[in-house]
This record gives sequence, structure tokens and C-alpha cells, in this order.
Amino acid sequence: MAWIAKNSATMQIERRDEPYLTDALKKQLEDQVIPRYDTRMAATMPALHLVQDTHGWLPHQAMEEIAEFLGLTASHVLDTATFYEEYWLKPHGKYVIWVCQSLSCELLGQPSLLEKIKGHLGIEVGETTDDGRFTLMGVECLGSCGTAPCALVNHKLHENITADNFQSVLDSLE
Amino acid sequence: MTTLKEPVLTKRIPTHPWGDPTDRKVVSYKQYVKTDGYKGLKNALAMEPSDVVDLVKAAEVRGRGGAGFPAGMKWSFLPPEDGGRRYLAINSDESEPGTFKDRLLIDFDPHIIIEGIAICMHACRLDTAYFYIRGEYHHQREVFEAAIKEAYENKIFGKGSKLGQINGRDPDLFLHRGAGAYVCGEETALLESLEGKRGWPRIKPPFPAVAGAFGRPTIINNVETLAICTPILERGEDGPKWFQSMGTQRPEGAPPHVPASFGPKLFGVSGHVNRPGVYEEELGITLKDLIEGLCQGMLNGKKYKSAIPGGISTGVLGPDEYDVRLDFDITKYDTLGLGTAGVIVMDEDTCMVGVARNIAHFFGHESCGQCTPCREGTNWMSKMLSRIEAGDGTTRDLDLLLEIAGSMGALPSGRGATICGLADGANWAVRTIVNKFWDEFEAKVSKQRFVSLSVVGS
Repeated sequence: MAWIAKNSATMQIERRDEPYLTDALKKQLEDQVIPRYDTRMAATMPALHLVQDTHGWLPHQAMEEIAEFLGLTASHVLDTATFYEEYWLKPHGKYVIWVCQSLSCELLGQPSLLEKIKGHLGIEVGETTDDGRFTLMGVECLGSCGTAPCALVNHKLHENITADNFQSVLDSLE
Repeated sequence: MTTLKEPVLTKRIPTHPWGDPTDRKVVSYKQYVKTDGYKGLKNALAMEPSDVVDLVKAAEVRGRGGAGFPAGMKWSFLPPEDGGRRYLAINSDESEPGTFKDRLLIDFDPHIIIEGIAICMHACRLDTAYFYIRGEYHHQREVFEAAIKEAYENKIFGKGSKLGQINGRDPDLFLHRGAGAYVCGEETALLESLEGKRGWPRIKPPFPAVAGAFGRPTIINNVETLAICTPILERGEDGPKWFQSMGTQRPEGAPPHVPASFGPKLFGVSGHVNRPGVYEEELGITLKDLIEGLCQGMLNGKKYKSAIPGGISTGVLGPDEYDVRLDFDITKYDTLGLGTAGVIVMDEDTCMVGVARNIAHFFGHESCGQCTPCREGTNWMSKMLSRIEAGDGTTRDLDLLLEIAGSMGALPSGRGATICGLADGANWAVRTIVNKFWDEFEAKVSKQRFVSLSVVGS
């Protein structure tokens, strides 16, 4: 729900001296991404992906740096980043579990599976475990309806999940 | 049971009944060329661009992405060349629940898509193509990146491309990664997203063919639509005839502008069936044949109750509609259309109130928030259906539900109240479920004998 606005007027931006958008990343964007598009603005999403893949999430300072680099306003970059579900504006656990909750998965037992995962991790959807290892998220269709129920753990898709085989997946993670 | 004589799109991807899905492997450029690959492109390059468009038009290829708009006609909407850039955007934002057909092609035979892309670029004189892939397709992204690299190495794109220079530029194909927004599958929202903005659909006109990406003429096609152009062009002049030997004719008595449903189609079947998966069949296969034949019947021997023909936006088919033909003419069964042909099958034990709740929740979650009827209506319906499912609904809720559903959407059925079709999906899904399974909804609310006066909108 991208359209839920938060009051940011009194928010303090945490800053650090070292930039998130390093010179190496800037060079990578300048050489490989920006020439692909007619405008620099079009590189917003690739830039956000790049910083997120490097740093894990998107601090406000990083978005300001991206805005400056692409010649945009910081509010534009924030606007784009908040619209899409995959961009993290706050830190998350080492492993993010995205459990698909769309129709095909629900028909084949996703609700009871989700309850079991919640019980095992001791967290609700949207929360992170105390040790910072797992974040549990609900997500709409992952495009794997033929092998429902399914879930993504970071970038890896797990199909035909049962409570047992998913348990062993979680156990095998560091 | 099966009527398709030979696999077309799944020629190189082992699929029942012609092959065993466990044998599937990514088809590399070399293997692809060995099995008649890039023959379609060769034929296309020997033809005048406008003749290629005419050929696709003659074949009456309808878009495979949901709306079923004739592809050749879309291609001919482009204005004359003016030397400036012209774009192709390939819609691979496959986010419609129940749809996983494009994923099969990307996963195992990416070059059939790339060949289709090259054919379209040549035919429509488009110099740059963007492959918009949804953010959640991580593995698919890697596979496709590798295939693009192979295509560049083999001079399909880039400097010295076989296509020659288009609009004075070397043709290029880039992958653009989405980031998890269903609405970006809508063509103009996809363009906004490509331009680095939030995915808010644009008001049409101007149509993308006139002013699309970066304000330039743009063609937007689904992955499967472009892929199906490849085997047509492979057969050259005989392509249209071959293509029209499959599928169903236009409905009897229909005016000539109503297109027929020709050709093979990928059907992604999921839900309560024994063997879910993607199957290739002729358009017009009956739901019964699809379930009992290729999918080996209902799961646990249960009885069929309902099915969604093509992704949850298209509404549901009732228990008496087991024999429907799955082609673009399916709208006569009170559905929004064939959609993406992502069939979700539900057995007799399925609670339809729960199905409606799941669907309404999806649309509430994915509404982009641009148009008020959709932003408020989808979430309102979602809350109301959760309430009904929990047993706290009133009979009045059901009427209200139908009223809200019927007041949002871009089509006349939604009073033209929104910019894009997302609300139409919510509208049709909820209305058809409530109407076709009214008794079930009534049973859920019948315990309540009073009507709350505080119902909003009363």
C-alpha cells in the first residue's frame, strides 16, 4: 500500500560520513545503466536496486545521494522508493522470507503453513526475529502457482512447500 | 483428448503430453539455432517491414497478456518514422495471481522471446527494447540476462546487428527490473516505472503507440505475444494459414470487427488439480478437457466447483460452466475475458467467501492509489469480506458489496470511474463470485437478524 503517507516533517535523517553511493557504484551506473535510457531519471530504479543490493536497504542519506547524482529532487527518489514493495526503507533480517498469499497458494494450504512458520520463528508477518536473522513478509503472487504453496527466501524461490520441508530449508540457513 | 498436433511454443521445452517436465533445461543460443531457431527472423529480414506487420495482422494474432487486443493492429498504430527514437517495451511483469506461463518461456527458452522481439523491432522500426521483468523473478532475470548477452555476441543486437541500423541507431535490448508492483503490468504504468517514477497509469489518449516511453512512439507487448510471432514468421507466407488452422473461429453471427481466437496458447493451471503446470493447447479447449486430460483430474477425486479462467481479475466460472471453451469469446459466460489463461481450479470444499476475501485483499493491497473509487473501494470490499467471512456480516453488506464493486473500473460496467483496469478486475471478480454463489454468501450472513445502522454508505 504505497499510498499510505507518513508524517516526515519532524523526522531526523541519520547521516554518516562515508557515502552509500560510492564512486565505484557511480561509475558502474554511469557506464552501464545511464546510457540505456533517454533521461537520467529513468536510472532511478536501477540505482535504488544497486544500492539496496550492496547495502541491504535504503537509508534516506542514500536516496539523497542518488537524487543528487541523477539530478533529481530527493523527494522524487523517495516517492519512487516508497511506491515499490521491494525497496526496504528500514533494515531487515539477514534472511527475508516472502510467503506468497495469493489464491492458488491459499487453496493449497498457505494459511496453516504461515501459522507454523510464525510459531516457529515466534514473530508476526512484518516482524524480524530478535537475533536479526529472519524477517517474515507476506507477498502477493510470486508467479509460481503451479507449484503452490511457494515462498522466496531472499532471492531463492522454494516451491511445493510443506511445513516439514520448509523447516529443513530454514534449518539449513546459517 | 489433446487436439494440438505438435508443440509450438513448448517445442524445445519438454511438456506433457510430449515430454517430461523434469527433462527441462535452458536452451542456449547454439541449441536454439540448431532447432530452426532464428529462421523466423531471417524470413522477416528478407521482407519489407510493413509486410511483416501485414503478415502478423493477417494471422490475427491476439495479445496474450490479458486484453486479447490484435497484435498486428497495435503494431500498425505507430506514426510514420521521423528519425527519432521508437521503443518496444516487453511486458514481463507477470503478477496476476494464477499466471506463470511467461516464466516457463523465460526459464527455458529465452531465445524464442528474443527472436520475437527482434522481429517486432524490424517490423515496426523500433530501435530500443526494454524487457520489463518483475522484481520477484530473480532466477529468470539471470537467465534472461545471459540470453541477451548471447544475442549481442551473435549480432542480433548491438553494433553490426543483423537488423541493420534502425532510426539511425544500433538496435538494443535492455532488461529493466521492476520492484514488486502489480499495477506496473498495466502498459502505461509500466512506462512510468521505466521512466523512474512511481507506477501510476496514464490517462489515454495519447496512446503509447503515439506518445509512450519518454514521450516517443512505443509498442508494448506481452512476452508470449512476441514469442508466438516467431513460429508464424518461421513459416513465412504460410504462417497465417498455419496459425489459423488452430483455435476457434469468430463466434457465429459476430460482426467482422470481432477477432477470432486463433493459434496455440499456454495455459497455466493451478489449484485443486492432480497435475498443475503450464500446458500448451489450442485456444478453445474446454475447461473439462483441460482438467480431466492434461491435469489428470481433480485433486483427491473431489468434484469441480468453480474455476477462474485467466487470472483472478477475470471473474469466476460457476459449477454449471464446466464445459466452457477457453478462448477469447469466453466473455459470454459473464467473465471479463480469457485474461492470461492462468486457470485456477477450485473443488467442492472451497469456501467462495474466502476466495472473494483473498481476491479483494489482493486488489486492496495492489491498488496504486491514484483513483479514489479504486483506492477506497478495493479496501472497503476487502474489509467487508473479512467481516462476512468471520460471520459478522449483514444481508445489507451483500448489496453494498455489489454496489461498491459496480461503481469502480474503467469499463462501462465500472462506470468509467478509474483510469486503468485494475478496479475492473476487482469489480468483476467480486461481482461474479457473489452473484454465482449467492447462497453461500447468504448462509454466512443469515445468522444476523438485525441490520446495523452504522454501515457506512447506508
